[in-house]
Amino acid sequence: MKKLEDKIIKKIYRMETEKTIGQIISEVSLTILLILSSLFIFSVIVEILNEQASFDLFDFLRDDFEIIRENFFNNSLLFVQELPLPLTYILIGLLLILVWLLYVFAKNFNNIKNKLISLYKFWFK
Amino acid sequence: MAELSDKDIVVKIKNGEIDYYSYIVKKYTALIYRYIERRLFIKDETDDLVQNVFISFYKAIEKFDETKPVKPYLFQIVQNELKMYYRSKKPTIQLNEDIYLVHDGGINIIDDSYLNHLNKDEKKIFQRIDEGYSYEEIGKQLKKPINTIKSIVRRGRIKIKLACASKK
Repeated sequence: MKKLEDKIIKKIYRMETEKTIGQIISEVSLTILLILSSLFIFSVIVEILNEQASFDLFDFLRDDFEIIRENFFNNSLLFVQELPLPLTYILIGLLLILVWLLYVFAKNFNNIKNKLISLYKFWFK
Repeated sequence: MAELSDKDIVVKIKNGEIDYYSYIVKKYTALIYRYIERRLFIKDETDDLVQNVFISFYKAIEKFDETKPVKPYLFQIVQNELKMYYRSKKPTIQLNEDIYLVHDGGINIIDDSYLNHLNKDEKKIFQRIDEGYSYEEIGKQLKKPINTIKSIVRRGRIKIKLACASKK
């Protein structure tokens, strides 16, 4: 009976090891992919805005507080209008997925940590 | 550790502390083993079924309501595993040409008198099988899908068997 119990426990651990490692690898690789693609799209957006000289709209920030107060809203609105909208939407979508993924990861962190500790104890101790 | 109830253990496992699953395994293995052994009498297969029961329970533990007792749930899995086991061991007859061509239970179903119990379509198909055509060829000849041919053969076989039984 002891032999059978050990066999069952070993099988469970093997299954759980595969599952946990697969889960970690997929979550981490997805996060890295999302971060890299967000950074890429962000750099493209910045490049486009640079070419359009859209950042010049914020030159007034070097002026007096009164001028800043008068122009801030209008200039910001103009800046938003000059943003490449499709890319901006994609970037926002990617960032939302990234936040959701990080939230899920944070929520499951304790669970995964406990699993890793258990797996470590079983395989290496 | 002895004070830990099944509920506490399940909560801990759900929280990722999977080493506690060994307590469930140690607590119920002997019980489940004896239960399955009494129904199978084959040691190797009993071992496999017991393993399957615990693996199934482990997979389902995330959805398991810890307020409910573990034992009835485990035995429900045992019942399902046994059902699957019996189903896998049930003798099945493959639906292929050989069924018609060989002697079936000591009765030669190629005997033409039995063909009188079949309708026109069935008779036609059975005669072609007798002539050595495969289901695929018959399907092409009669412009019917192969699965329809198989169904007709199956129905015909049942009719022939009933006819044989009534003759006996």
